[in-house]
Amino acid sequence: MNPFFAIWKKLAGSRVGRSIFRVGLPESSLGRAQAMVSSFLLHVHPAKVHRHSLKFSYTFGLGLISIYLFLILFVTGVLLMFFYVPSTDRAYSDMKDLEFVVSTGVLLRNMHRWAAHLMVLAVFLHMCRVFYTAAYKPPREFNWIVGVCLFVLTLVLSFTGYLLPWDQLAFWAITVGTNIAGYAPVIGEKIKFVLLGGNTVGDSALLRFYVLHVIVLPGAALFLIAIHIWRIRKDGGLSRPDEPDNVLQQIETGSMPTNKSYGLMELAKGTSPAVGINPEDQVSAWPHLIFREILLFMATLAVVLFISLIWNAPLEELANAVHPPNPAKAPWYFLGLQELVAFSAFWGGVVVPALLLVALITLPYLDFKRRGVGVWFSRERKVAITIFTICVVAAVILTVIGTYFRGPNWDWVWPWKEQIVITH
Amino acid sequence: MDSLQKYYPWFGFLGLVIGVLIIVGYFKDEFREWKQWQHEYIEQEISRATTPELKELAQTIPLEIRQIVLPESRRVDRCTTCHIAVEDPGYAGYKQPLAYHPNHDQHPFEKFGCTICHLGQGRATDRDAAHGRVKHWEQPMLPKNYIEASCAKCHTATDIPGAPMLARGRELFEEQGCIGCHKLDGFGSSIGPELDKIGAKRSPQWLAQHFKIPREVVPGSGMPPVKLKELDIEALTLFLLGQTGEPLSEYFLSMKILPAPEVGQRIFVQRGCLGCHSIGGTGGKVGPALDGVTKRRSTDWIVQHFREPAAVSPGTVMPRYDFTESEIRALTAFLVSLSETDVIGFLKVLQPATPEERGKSVYRKYGCAGCHGPTGKGGVPNPNAKTNQQVPPLMAEGDMADIFIESYITEGVQEIAKMNSNGPQPPLYMPAWEGKISEGELADLVSYLHTLASE
Repeated sequence: MNPFFAIWKKLAGSRVGRSIFRVGLPESSLGRAQAMVSSFLLHVHPAKVHRHSLKFSYTFGLGLISIYLFLILFVTGVLLMFFYVPSTDRAYSDMKDLEFVVSTGVLLRNMHRWAAHLMVLAVFLHMCRVFYTAAYKPPREFNWIVGVCLFVLTLVLSFTGYLLPWDQLAFWAITVGTNIAGYAPVIGEKIKFVLLGGNTVGDSALLRFYVLHVIVLPGAALFLIAIHIWRIRKDGGLSRPDEPDNVLQQIETGSMPTNKSYGLMELAKGTSPAVGINPEDQVSAWPHLIFREILLFMATLAVVLFISLIWNAPLEELANAVHPPNPAKAPWYFLGLQELVAFSAFWGGVVVPALLLVALITLPYLDFKRRGVGVWFSRERKVAITIFTICVVAAVILTVIGTYFRGPNWDWVWPWKEQIVITH
Repeated sequence: MDSLQKYYPWFGFLGLVIGVLIIVGYFKDEFREWKQWQHEYIEQEISRATTPELKELAQTIPLEIRQIVLPESRRVDRCTTCHIAVEDPGYAGYKQPLAYHPNHDQHPFEKFGCTICHLGQGRATDRDAAHGRVKHWEQPMLPKNYIEASCAKCHTATDIPGAPMLARGRELFEEQGCIGCHKLDGFGSSIGPELDKIGAKRSPQWLAQHFKIPREVVPGSGMPPVKLKELDIEALTLFLLGQTGEPLSEYFLSMKILPAPEVGQRIFVQRGCLGCHSIGGTGGKVGPALDGVTKRRSTDWIVQHFREPAAVSPGTVMPRYDFTESEIRALTAFLVSLSETDVIGFLKVLQPATPEERGKSVYRKYGCAGCHGPTGKGGVPNPNAKTNQQVPPLMAEGDMADIFIESYITEGVQEIAKMNSNGPQPPLYMPAWEGKISEGELADLVSYLHTLASE
């Protein structure tokens, strides 16, 4: 027997171990089910999980990665809060102190910054995954909407955090970003005023963004994440094809005996895993799901650590309201929007994003026939896939253009050519 | 249980990766440049120790970040983390960063910090960042040869001891007539940009190059090149570097006035002391004459008398003037100097000059020389001006009627006639001095201009 396993077994089975975990290291199917159900942290999982849900190439773990990044952001964010005062007098010098005198301050800030960017990316890719596998179709329509809200929340969370370092990058990105919000008819200027606590980015804007960033938005996100996960359980686990057997060949789950036993938690509504599903396709969540989840967390943490050790989060000059950089750019995930605004403030800044949001929210109610569910790029959904792909490609292209191909006065530049830098 | 086995390599691998990354992160954070210098300092201290007790003491010096916190001027200077021996004269002649900083008695570190004079990034603790030679830091350290510029942040007097370059720069600034086009401290005209914060915006290299060939750094600039020797260009650059417009804390403001006789003399004249007191027979008779006052009174008495005249001289009619402590020190120094040096030099300053002489200083005060030359001979280039693309000389004006010259000065000439009517507007023009120049100054200036015509 593996020596690690022996130690582990001994620890989990000891008096203290049992008092914490209730059951020892599970050795039977019953034990595996009990391990899941009797643990507060594990009981959001089913006791048994469908083999298809474990297939990495189906989900790429994007939803979990998003949650893990959120967790990393939460922990590093709380630590950063110990060193930060949201006032225009102190914010910037607090950044400097973090860099120069706080132990691991640079690493903390880097991890927070890069995890935030990665989370925007992961959530976006997760949404694409859900679309391309038609996972938003009944009974998961509402969870798609919760997901869209979480996507928007992620963007706003990242955006509010962008201002906090109070450097030129932060100040002008937020100025540009809130100006885009101001283009909305009738209420645009009002929204901008409420967001900034004034007409320009200043002390009150910094305080508002801070409160939103550290309390309001994470709280809202946490609430929605809880609903999002709870709905996954209630809607019968992850989406999968109606006849998944033929796509399961590649999944290795080892020689786990299947005793055809059901956990109590699996007694759910009509679409639950317990109904119409062959128990042969089920494997114990312990260890197959749990171990994979832990491994994915370790991988995510490793990537964030690696990036943070190599690249430093940017910090430019102290914010200066009379010296706009040229061009002043919004955060990268809004540069597609800024590019559209450069063409037309009203169409690009209001109509297109509003239409996109409405389209995303109404999607599961317009496209509700259960065709191609659980299959990547199903041939039965050519039209939907084409439209969505065009939107995604357009968004990516616009973002790339806004990021790399726009120079002073928003003129076209070739990123590989040397830029004329106007210095004073 | 073999189904668990296949996960172990993964746990092992990822655990190892995370472990390595955390260890790398720890060492990256733990290694800081300043620790190396503090180690070296401690070694020096140990080797310099003369007694076993001192040696033991030196061994207990902790490795730590050292900083001077100046909440009033919103600075935290951590320079002494590496420059740890700045206050120990025993380190004179040592290599940086362990060298001693001479001449700091007047500017104690705990009150001034470092960056107020040297600039750079006080909060930083690694070399390049601290010296400000990194991207996104706007104030790199002031090069040593320009260090006198920082004196001008607080000291407005021309006679700061130990700052000859600054004095020369200020003199050149007046001589060259810079304020004929530029505003400084709210004084001057607006043909060129204001110079109040120029020192915080521009680098020494930029300024020097701009004096030599303005168009090279500001395309299309109308500023005529400043034709000076290299050292004078440097002095002028240095003077402008000191014009940072930085708001100073109360403490620095109170230190602004030097306790020097020359400064005291200026305050003495400004505050109208001669209204009551006389020196060398000049001045009022209400109060006692002040020649040789130190023979009669002690310095303490004089200081006390400035603070509260009635306290040391009961029944005196001299009012309390609310002088600041530094003004009192300067005035006292002046009175002391009266009995040590001859008073004739002082009286010369008070002698009323002729209108022509006064006019000459008015000409200088308003920067007329900037365009019309130091003696009114003109010749400063003004591209596309009808007058030979130059600012015209003033000899001809000297022959005109007073009233005509006066209106020319007060109203100015905003539209300069073009040489090529399709070409651009000549950049230099005569600003209107109405409201800026006083009646008396105007009359004196006209008298001076007449002397130019007769030459």
